[in-house]
Amino acid sequence: MAAKVPRNFRLLEELEKGEKGLGAGESILAEDVLQNLTMRQEACSYGLADGDDLMMSNWNGTILGPPHSVHENRIYSVNIHCDSDYPDKPPVLQFVSKVNLPCVDARNGKVDPSKLPCLANWKRDYTMETVLIELRRYMALPQHKKLPQPPEGTTF
Amino acid sequence: MALPKRIIKETERLMSEPVPGISAVPHEDNLRYFDVTIDGPASSPYEGGKFRAELFLPDDYPMTPPKIRFLTKIYHPNIDKLGRICLDVLKSNWSPALQIRTILLSIQALLGAPNPDDPLANDVAQRWKENEPAAIQTAREWTKTHAMA
Repeated sequence: MAAKVPRNFRLLEELEKGEKGLGAGESILAEDVLQNLTMRQEACSYGLADGDDLMMSNWNGTILGPPHSVHENRIYSVNIHCDSDYPDKPPVLQFVSKVNLPCVDARNGKVDPSKLPCLANWKRDYTMETVLIELRRYMALPQHKKLPQPPEGTTF
Repeated sequence: MALPKRIIKETERLMSEPVPGISAVPHEDNLRYFDVTIDGPASSPYEGGKFRAELFLPDDYPMTPPKIRFLTKIYHPNIDKLGRICLDVLKSNWSPALQIRTILLSIQALLGAPNPDDPLANDVAQRWKENEPAAIQTAREWTKTHAMA
C-alpha cells in the first residue's frame, strides 16, 4: 500500500502540476490562469486564488468549452474550495460564469456533487484536474451539448 | 501498512535523542507525516521564534528527499509565501545518507544564513540585497508577529 500523501503536500503537488510551463517556483495566481489556458490551449487550468494562503483552500479553475457543442470557445470560470478534509472528501465547486447544466444550480452556480459521478463516487487519488476534466466531458455529453446557454461572459 | 525499518529507526532516534531547538513528532494516523518545530537560531533575525513546519516522507524515501514546508509565516529569501524551502539538499544534492535530523539541522542553519543569491522569494531576496538592515528588521518583526505565540 502506498504512503498516504497528507492534504497540504497533495495540494502542493497539484499546484506544481498546474503551474508547469510557468516559471518554476512562482505561484500561479488567478490572473495567470486565463493567460496560461489561452497560451497552452489546454482544456482546463487551475491556480491558487490567493498566493499568500498557507492553507491553500481556495482555487480558481477554468474550463475551455468543449468543441462541437454550444460551449465551444467559451471560457468558464469556476471557484474550487478544498476544505481541511480534502482529498479524503471532494472539493466544493461553484461556477462564476453563468452556465446551464443539470449539475449546476441555476440560482448560484453551485455544482451538485450528487449529479457529477467523480464527486458522488469520490476517490482519494482524484484531483481538481479530474473534476474539471469531468465537468468538461459532462458539457459535451449528447444530452447537454445543445442546451440553451446564458449570454457569454455573464456571471452568477 | 508496514513502515520501512529505516523510518522507524530515524523516528525512534528523533524521540530518544532530540536535536536541540528542533522537534519532529509523527502523526499517529500517518507515521510518514511529522509535525515539526524549529527554533530560530541565536543572533539571527529569527531568534526567539518557534517556527512550525510539516514534513512528509514519500514512498521512495530515502531514495528521494523528504518534503518539507513551513507553516509559520517567515520573511526569508529562500522561503516562499507558501512556506516552500529552496535548499540544495532537499533537491539535487539529496543523498540517502542524509536523514530527517540532518535536513532539519540544514534548515535551521539556513535560517541563520540566508542566501539572497539563490532566492525562492524574489521580492524578499531583492530587498535583502538592496537594504540588508531593513530586510533583517522586517524578518525580526515577522518573527515577533507570527512565530512568538
